[in-house]
Amino acid sequence: MALALENVSKHFGSLVAIRNLSLSFDVGSIYSIIGPNGAGKSTVVNMIAGSYAVTSGTIRLGETALNRLPKHRIAQLGVSRTYQNLRLFDGMTVLENLEVCFFPQSWLTFLTGAKRLSKAERLEICHACLAEFHLSDVADVLAGDLPYGRQKILELARAFVTQAPIVLLDEPAAGLNHTETKDMAAMIAGLKREDRAIILVEHDMDMVMSISDRIDVLNYGELLCSGTPDLVRTNERVQEAYLGTTEELDDIRKLAQSRRAQGGLRANAGIVRH
Amino acid sequence: MFDYFLQQLIFALAIGAIYGLIALGYTMVYGVMRLINFAHGEFFMLGPYIYTFLFSGLVGLGGLAPVLDSAIAIVASFVIVGLLGVAIERFAYRPLRAYGRLAPMLSALGMSIVLQSAVRVTVGPQPVHFPAIVPSTPIDALGGMVTTVQLGILIAAVLLMVGLTLFVNGTRLGIWIRAASESWTTSSLLGIRVNRAVSLVFFIGPGLGAMAGIMYASYYGIMQPTMGSVIGLKAFTAAILGGIGSIPGAMLGGFLLGAIEVFGTAFLPILSFGYIGTEYRDVFAFAVLILVLLFKPAGLLGETVSEETTVAKKDY
Amino acid sequence: MGNSVIARRLGLLAVLALCVVLLALVPYFPSYYVRVVDSILIYIILAVGLNLVVGYAGLLDLGFIAFYAVGAYAYAMLASGQFDIHLPFIVVLFIGAAAGAIAGILLGFPVLKLRGDYLAIVTLSFGEIIRIAINNADDLTNGPQGIAGLDRASLFGLPLTTPVHFYWLLLVLAIIVCAGVYYMERSILGKAWRALREDQDVVRGLGINTTTLKLLAFALSAAIGGAGGVIFGAFQRFVSPESFTFQESLLVVLIIIIGGVGNIVGVIAGAVVLVVLPEILHFAAQYRLLIYGVVLVTVIVLRPGGLVSPRFNLGFIIRKVRTLWLSPSKT
Repeated sequence: MALALENVSKHFGSLVAIRNLSLSFDVGSIYSIIGPNGAGKSTVVNMIAGSYAVTSGTIRLGETALNRLPKHRIAQLGVSRTYQNLRLFDGMTVLENLEVCFFPQSWLTFLTGAKRLSKAERLEICHACLAEFHLSDVADVLAGDLPYGRQKILELARAFVTQAPIVLLDEPAAGLNHTETKDMAAMIAGLKREDRAIILVEHDMDMVMSISDRIDVLNYGELLCSGTPDLVRTNERVQEAYLGTTEELDDIRKLAQSRRAQGGLRANAGIVRH
Repeated sequence: MFDYFLQQLIFALAIGAIYGLIALGYTMVYGVMRLINFAHGEFFMLGPYIYTFLFSGLVGLGGLAPVLDSAIAIVASFVIVGLLGVAIERFAYRPLRAYGRLAPMLSALGMSIVLQSAVRVTVGPQPVHFPAIVPSTPIDALGGMVTTVQLGILIAAVLLMVGLTLFVNGTRLGIWIRAASESWTTSSLLGIRVNRAVSLVFFIGPGLGAMAGIMYASYYGIMQPTMGSVIGLKAFTAAILGGIGSIPGAMLGGFLLGAIEVFGTAFLPILSFGYIGTEYRDVFAFAVLILVLLFKPAGLLGETVSEETTVAKKDY
Repeated sequence: MGNSVIARRLGLLAVLALCVVLLALVPYFPSYYVRVVDSILIYIILAVGLNLVVGYAGLLDLGFIAFYAVGAYAYAMLASGQFDIHLPFIVVLFIGAAAGAIAGILLGFPVLKLRGDYLAIVTLSFGEIIRIAINNADDLTNGPQGIAGLDRASLFGLPLTTPVHFYWLLLVLAIIVCAGVYYMERSILGKAWRALREDQDVVRGLGINTTTLKLLAFALSAAIGGAGGVIFGAFQRFVSPESFTFQESLLVVLIIIIGGVGNIVGVIAGAVVLVVLPEILHFAAQYRLLIYGVVLVTVIVLRPGGLVSPRFNLGFIIRKVRTLWLSPSKT
């Protein structure tokens, strides 16, 4: 199954957030969408998930056009997601946060019970998922009481528990410290499967570079470049978009060096984190 | 037909202005606290009672010119009811801020019962005559008959609305109120004393409600302890109709509700060949509200919030 | 098995026995007290029903009494001299529940996409519309005079005429409703409702159609309201629009909030307090409402989360009893 954006545009009033974007994602890989702030990364995720209606163009999952479908239908077809700001059900236990994902999806299944998981099956899957994400010890703790890092992992687990073929991760490392980010990267890398496409929007470049099979760089709503991490790393236009032109970059370096000489600012080597 | 129409129009404007003034109190409180202040109708009711008390007191003390007595009594009722509003917020709503939205609402319901029964206990449940502030003389305007009271209400209400708009848009305190309505947290981070903005809102809102009450009572020449319930409910409807949280929306909603009611009452029996009588007036108002919300889910002037930007995850 | 366990079991038995004895003694109370208890039970049924919408699904419904009115008028029209139709009580009970549910769906279908306060005001308007319509549709409802002389009800040949009869009926129904709602609360449906209350956008993102979920809560609660209305009609043998004012809707909401939102034990406590309090305050004559209001505000300011802690719910009690009985060593 493949997810494809065909000439998708999104306007907010007069602001063009995404312009004629075409991308395709196939199962079996991890994709990253990166770009400076305001490049339209989150807009892409929100359009795929159905939170924003596209202005023009089509989003397809296999043969089905997703745009114009209500959000819950899109999710039922196999697109699951996490959110930039944590959005767990705080007043429910960790286990219940996962269980809810198995609510029967139509009246028919609800009433007849056909194709509906029994309670035991449901719990078995959820417990297996908790074990996979190292959350078993907190199964009965209220989600809101977990430390931030584990809440992030719970949200990840919630996106994967239904085995959706398309998983959108909106900044899974935001707010995590260095070690936690590394663990998160390893965890996401380990979730790569033949029947699953993981689409990652992330600012942490170490994470993006280490786990992605393909990176799509957006700038001002347009695709700047697309390719393997090595290709993107060396692409001049990407560096420009992130850091300005090479001349400007030189200026910045000089400035930073002079500051460092003064013992003030410690310029960060590599790519700037936003 | 035209003079009948004109007469109805003036009537609609007068009653709409009253609804609008009360709706302002609902909408401002909602704006800063996301609270449906069910006690607000009682401030409307308190207005005429406090006015009468003060006015007769002034007259009893010898008084000044009647005009001055009224003016003092009116201003004083605004202040007294406003201060009462501030006190109620301080003691009955503020302690509940951290407890979701249902708890303050319940407290507001309780306050409504307290205020209404306090008045009932003090002056008795029966309707009382309300002395006219302005002598009601009919004026012949463009062929229609308009009374001075109607005109007076309309002018006073519009002046209050203009004053409020200028205050909210042009003064520092007004900007605090607007900032607090936009975002509580951001405002407090920016050094705005949100609590003061809230107190201010709880001063102005009930004060305006009291003014509306005085107008209403002088229009019908009567006041009673229960008068705030139904009118309060309708004014709340008006606030929602205009888009709750929006100050111009509340005024628009008030006038609109007045027009719907008056013209609905006047023309419905004619249009439906007598099948639907005036007794369906309220149904009509509520039905229009439901219809408007179906097409404009945030009211006429309310902001539509996109779900990704929704700050509050919970409705209740 | 230690002595303490035996003591605790005995204690538990004593508490249970006390409850049963109290409930069994009610019929021997003076008629006035039985009526108060009946009233408490009716409000428990209504509030548990409304709690599905307010407490679980997180939608504020301020027009709940409309469904109660639908049920009551269903009995008034189908079991009285009004149209000379005399259906048996049990039949009308189901008709009333169904009519309530249909009214709930009719209202819910167009308005459930509204959020929070907009939904609150629309339900409120709906309640008022129903009341005003009843007040004015003279041919059907006799208008403000109401319908009097409703049939004496009977159930499976047993007469339902005195407050004591209704006590047993209401007690059984209240237990059924509480048990049913408790079962739903524990099912995946209940979990989905709670999730809906927390964050409806995310629930949609999980592939759940939130509109049907809300509609289901609305319809079920309306059905309970409708059934409650039928019993009310049969009990009073007289209905008039007076009984279905906005204040009644608010009272049911109050019961839920003051007891503890989303908690059946809380709802029961809330119903007891808010029904009994005005009765106790009878001595205060004209100061009754004033004191009532002051008590309400004081209680909510002192206990903003409701009288009953959310942890002390039916599940907690059942767990407690079960562990004490089956594996006392764990307690």
